[in-house]
Amino acid sequence: MAVAPSATLASPRRKRRILLRLVALVVLYGLWEIAARTTRNPTFIPSPGAVWHQLIVTSTVHGGIRGYSGHLLIEHLGVSLRRILIGSAIGVAGGLVLGLIMGTVTWFRVVTEPVVTFVRALPPLAYFSLFIIWFGIDETPKLWLLSIAALPPVAVATAAAVLGAPTGLVEAARALGAGKWQAVRDVVLPHALPEIFTGVRIAVGVAYSSVVAAETINGVPGIGGMVRDAQRYSQTDVVVLGLFAIGLSGLLIDALLQIAEKRLIPWRGRA
Amino acid sequence: MSSADAVVLSGVEHSYGDVTAVGPISLSVPSGEFLVLVGASGCGKSTLLRLIAGFEQPTAGTVLAAGVPPVPGRGAGLVFQQPRLFPWRTVGGNIAMALRYAGQTPTTARIEALLERVGLQDVAKRRTWQISGGQQQRVAIARALAVDNPLLLLDEPFAALDALTRERLQEDLRRVSAETGRTCVFVTHSVDEAVFLGSRVVVLTPRPGRIALDLPIDLPRTGIDPEELRGRPAFAAARTQVGAAVRHPGVFA
Repeated sequence: MAVAPSATLASPRRKRRILLRLVALVVLYGLWEIAARTTRNPTFIPSPGAVWHQLIVTSTVHGGIRGYSGHLLIEHLGVSLRRILIGSAIGVAGGLVLGLIMGTVTWFRVVTEPVVTFVRALPPLAYFSLFIIWFGIDETPKLWLLSIAALPPVAVATAAAVLGAPTGLVEAARALGAGKWQAVRDVVLPHALPEIFTGVRIAVGVAYSSVVAAETINGVPGIGGMVRDAQRYSQTDVVVLGLFAIGLSGLLIDALLQIAEKRLIPWRGRA
Repeated sequence: MSSADAVVLSGVEHSYGDVTAVGPISLSVPSGEFLVLVGASGCGKSTLLRLIAGFEQPTAGTVLAAGVPPVPGRGAGLVFQQPRLFPWRTVGGNIAMALRYAGQTPTTARIEALLERVGLQDVAKRRTWQISGGQQQRVAIARALAVDNPLLLLDEPFAALDALTRERLQEDLRRVSAETGRTCVFVTHSVDEAVFLGSRVVVLTPRPGRIALDLPIDLPRTGIDPEELRGRPAFAAARTQVGAAVRHPGVFA
């Protein structure tokens, strides 16, 4: 089959890429170590060893103290991931509905498009204060923040994809007897899915970068709250550890989304 | 106009802005006829087909299909130049959509039978991009034939295929149309294709498209080998006549 030669060609190339990445990681680690040793100021640049030590300290119960601020690292991360998950889910669902209506109803698009673009341009931290005033400092304003931040990318992607629906395929469905809404459900939406999925990945990314902002106030437990507290007490090693936890889990989630995309949308690039 | 007419055009005209693309044309297509519309590019033959399908409204005159103004998706199957299959459905899924829109239950046996009718086997579970262009067009025809519509409209369905595949599909379409007894309106710019497929060939003039020649083709519809058919003197004569009309429209008008 046609796949076989490209696979044999790809695998040494892939090996080389993995090797290159590993080398880059080792070099980066070396530079970090050197920087930490030459500056000799752990508050400015903590050593990799110190961060590793904090990983163990924050992940265990030691001398009656549980992790950091009474919660294990994994619990901080779990709470943040839960917020990201709920916020993204609400934002994606809202964005999907909004984008679908924007793409199909002209007057609605004319009215809402500037509003969506306006919200999209705002840094989430800017409207967080408003949510604090409206909803207090517990879970509600945080989820609102993430939802509102995740909504515009999905709405914009969905609206654009629905507007760009291929007339040829819609016509083919109509010729088979599809009504207007059946054509939307069976042609316009599936055709839009690849673009919508790209919007979802961006939305989850935005939710990720907003969670630290959301957890600046009453954010413990939460990885953002942990970083914020550590910064207050100049525990730079914990700050760096928190950054790693956020970044690595973000990479993992994007990889999962990409796998899901390949499974759910096998026709991507084929139509 | 008789009640047995599948399609009736009376004084039909169609304009895009100031440009008259078609007409006036008056034409009746009796049930069971295989009508081929031939003409050079831009003579409005595709527009005429879209009028019959109900995708366009005439700017003057009336179009009737089975006695009523046509509505897309009711009473007529449509095959386009491109297969226009839905890539998010499997091959079988594409056929199932047609059945579902018609309120019928798509069973595996039914889908297999429809695919077999256009000469396809073991493709129902394949993805639409995993089969060849000729196979895709066969699926498009099977999809258009899935529901028992009395009328089948085809807009240059074989134009994008290679010569060998095109000939095979022409032969199969000729057989399938005879088997199903469906009225067909087929648009093409190929003289050979027109005479081979049609029981009647109508040549259109360049813009605005009017009838230049209306020629019944007196060749057997079934029980004849395609090679033998092409060798008949009547085939050659019709080809010459249609070819002349396409090249010099107006001479026969």
